[in-house]
Amino acid sequence: MNAHEQFAEDLALYALGAIEGEERLAVEKHLDECSACRTELEQLRGDAALLAFSAGGPRPPSRSRERLMAAIAKEPRRVPVRPVKRAWWRAFEWAAAVATVVVVLLLVRQNSDLQRRLAGLQSNSADQLQQLLQAKQIIATLTAADAERYVLVAGKTPPQPQGRAIYVASSGTLVFLASNMPQLPPQKAYELWLIPANGAPIPAGVFRPNAQGSAAVIKPPLRPGVEAKTFAITVEPAAGSSAPTSQPVMVGTRG
Amino acid sequence: MSHAASDVVLTDAMLVSAIRSGDERGMAQLYDRYSGIVYSVALRVLGDTGAAEDILQEVFMQLWRNPDVFDASRGSLAGWLAVIARNRAIDSLRKRRPEDDIADVIVGIEPDMVRSVDWNRSLEKIRGVLGSMPPPQRSALEMSFFEGLTHSEIAEKTGEPLGTIKTRIRAGLLTLRKAFNR
Repeated sequence: MNAHEQFAEDLALYALGAIEGEERLAVEKHLDECSACRTELEQLRGDAALLAFSAGGPRPPSRSRERLMAAIAKEPRRVPVRPVKRAWWRAFEWAAAVATVVVVLLLVRQNSDLQRRLAGLQSNSADQLQQLLQAKQIIATLTAADAERYVLVAGKTPPQPQGRAIYVASSGTLVFLASNMPQLPPQKAYELWLIPANGAPIPAGVFRPNAQGSAAVIKPPLRPGVEAKTFAITVEPAAGSSAPTSQPVMVGTRG
Repeated sequence: MSHAASDVVLTDAMLVSAIRSGDERGMAQLYDRYSGIVYSVALRVLGDTGAAEDILQEVFMQLWRNPDVFDASRGSLAGWLAVIARNRAIDSLRKRRPEDDIADVIVGIEPDMVRSVDWNRSLEKIRGVLGSMPPPQRSALEMSFFEGLTHSEIAEKTGEPLGTIKTRIRAGLLTLRKAFNR
């Protein structure tokens, strides 16, 4: 039921087109402002349609159908039918289209940059991976249990115990290789020491030679930036010592 | 009036969609379905078969030219065609230009009522409701709807007060609504 009783009767007349003049204008003004009455108007038109259905009567002659279909055939529909849009909306559409193109170009450019950077990173990564694999191969070769070591000497000099330390003070990196080392009892081990220019010897790794007297110490935990005066080897308990407990069996000379 | 309920296969909305894409067969089906209603209303208003055929042609051509004027989500096509046909017939009768934009005419009525096999029963019911109305009420309603008379003209013609005519017309429409539980 219409919530606006004062317009109820006029609304029914309006649905039938049976109201004119100022009364009609007043209804139209109210309809502009009142959605409830617009809905009621739709209902009233539905009521009127029921009235229309009551008309009854003969069916239209067949010529009417032929006439309509002939007219339609002469007037093919233009599809799709689109309403004319306002100029500002079309301008907005153009602006939106231009903005879209700009954004797409920026994205393409950004994507291109990212692709280049990604390619660079992939290249770096590949290089680093290659270097890492080489390093691993070197370490594996140096530390392999089945590695065969050959000591080359001049003339017929018998092989002597020998150690070779390669040290980079700035990074604290040390690689030590030994050969022809005498075997030790099970409870004993060799311990390598870094002898700094000032201060006490620093432990640089514990090792036991293999059956051929060879051994390697690869990158023991050393603090970077320690200048070495030399390296020395002592015989220590198998677990190693924090300070030398015996006289060195070998002492290095820089060369 | 017979109603082509037996050959209903596609919904009105589907047929209107077919028309929207320029399918003449969709238009032919809609014509077969609703030309009887449109023609009957126009003939009742105008009382002339030739003039009623012109209205029939005009209404369906409008739908063909611009199917978007009908919003299937807001009412039945049958109700919409019936009201548009009546309005155009009244315009023709009064020799005036169309007063309303057909796109603005929304007819709130359930589509099923006219599409179902109960069409004949619905028609009998409408006629029954009209038959049971007080004659002055039914007369006011039909003078307004089928003759296109304003409430002032009806009051003048019948000698009844203006307010009485207004009340009768509204009451008549609401009686129809109530009969169909709308």
